[in-house]
Amino acid sequence: MTDLGKGIFWCVCTLVIYLSARKLHQRYGRWWSSPMLLTWLSCGLLICSLHRSYAEYLIGTHWMIWLLGPATVAFAIPIHRQQDLIRKHWILLCVGVSVGSLLAFASSWGLASIFHFSPEMRASLLPRSITTPLAMEASVRLGGVPELTAIFTAITGLFGAAVGESLLYYLPIRSSFARGALFGMGAHGAGVARAREISHEEGAIASLIMILAGLLNVIVAGVLSSL
Amino acid sequence: MKAQETIIRRFTHGSAGLRGLQILTLMLLCWLAQLLTSHLQWPIPGSLVGLFVLWLLLNRKVLPAAWVEDGANDLLNHLMLFFVPAMLALVDRPELLSMLGVKLLIAVLISTLAVMCGTACVVEIGFRLKHD
Repeated sequence: MTDLGKGIFWCVCTLVIYLSARKLHQRYGRWWSSPMLLTWLSCGLLICSLHRSYAEYLIGTHWMIWLLGPATVAFAIPIHRQQDLIRKHWILLCVGVSVGSLLAFASSWGLASIFHFSPEMRASLLPRSITTPLAMEASVRLGGVPELTAIFTAITGLFGAAVGESLLYYLPIRSSFARGALFGMGAHGAGVARAREISHEEGAIASLIMILAGLLNVIVAGVLSSL
Repeated sequence: MKAQETIIRRFTHGSAGLRGLQILTLMLLCWLAQLLTSHLQWPIPGSLVGLFVLWLLLNRKVLPAAWVEDGANDLLNHLMLFFVPAMLALVDRPELLSMLGVKLLIAVLISTLAVMCGTACVVEIGFRLKHD
């Protein structure tokens, strides 16, 4: 096959798997039916079983990674829509985002030291609590591998969204604000989707916390890298 | 009457072509911002500068939100598709499917629990201090 043929093949495969997985998720709505998880595993299995390389897969799908940039720009819409919430609760939002980011960095750093991960692996772990496009940007600036960060971030989101409700059951939390913060800070995109299922308010807070945490992390990582 | 509503909805919610145009606008904005940051050698990514510029345009009412909103929501709805190709780098790193991978998984899970519990508790305390 020519490069063009290969590109079209992998592009169509990914899109078909993704769209079917979305249909499946609409029906089951559980963590294991997440379209991201299903598309990731199916495409991975397909590449391995056909004995193809990652480089070949990227020919047809690299444009998707490129769309992460415009998608980041699109975060301006939810920020614009939730301006009243920001104005009203900016102190709490700042506290939640700073504490959450510090906890994420400190716990990742600590565990990486305990397990003796390489510096590259450790840097890839650090930004995994924020939304994936921004986590990948932060990872580059911290000296990590953005692809690895994408994997860690995805697992964080899946796990966080799956256990979030059980955590809420055990933690002494009454305010919708803290519930939203738990999902937005702990499980980024997947968490926001789960928070929206609880109520509109939790969803709005989770999405704001997620975006603001992402911005803070990328800016801090950028400043650190330029020192 | 119903036909009229459909036409109005088509204009306010945007057809596929209109959404495509909105997505193109976002792509253009992102590309320009990336050119700027790489030219000035700023340490923050161009997409972030694009975000701030778009937010400023919306906030100052230079650009009505309706002009980009549907396209922006489309991109955000399908965000997970865009990073799946990056995650497939796993294929090139078989060393992760070993003890190292298990350790990494444990680290990710413990750290995630710590972030969720810690953030929720601190925000809850802050909320009660403010409202009780």
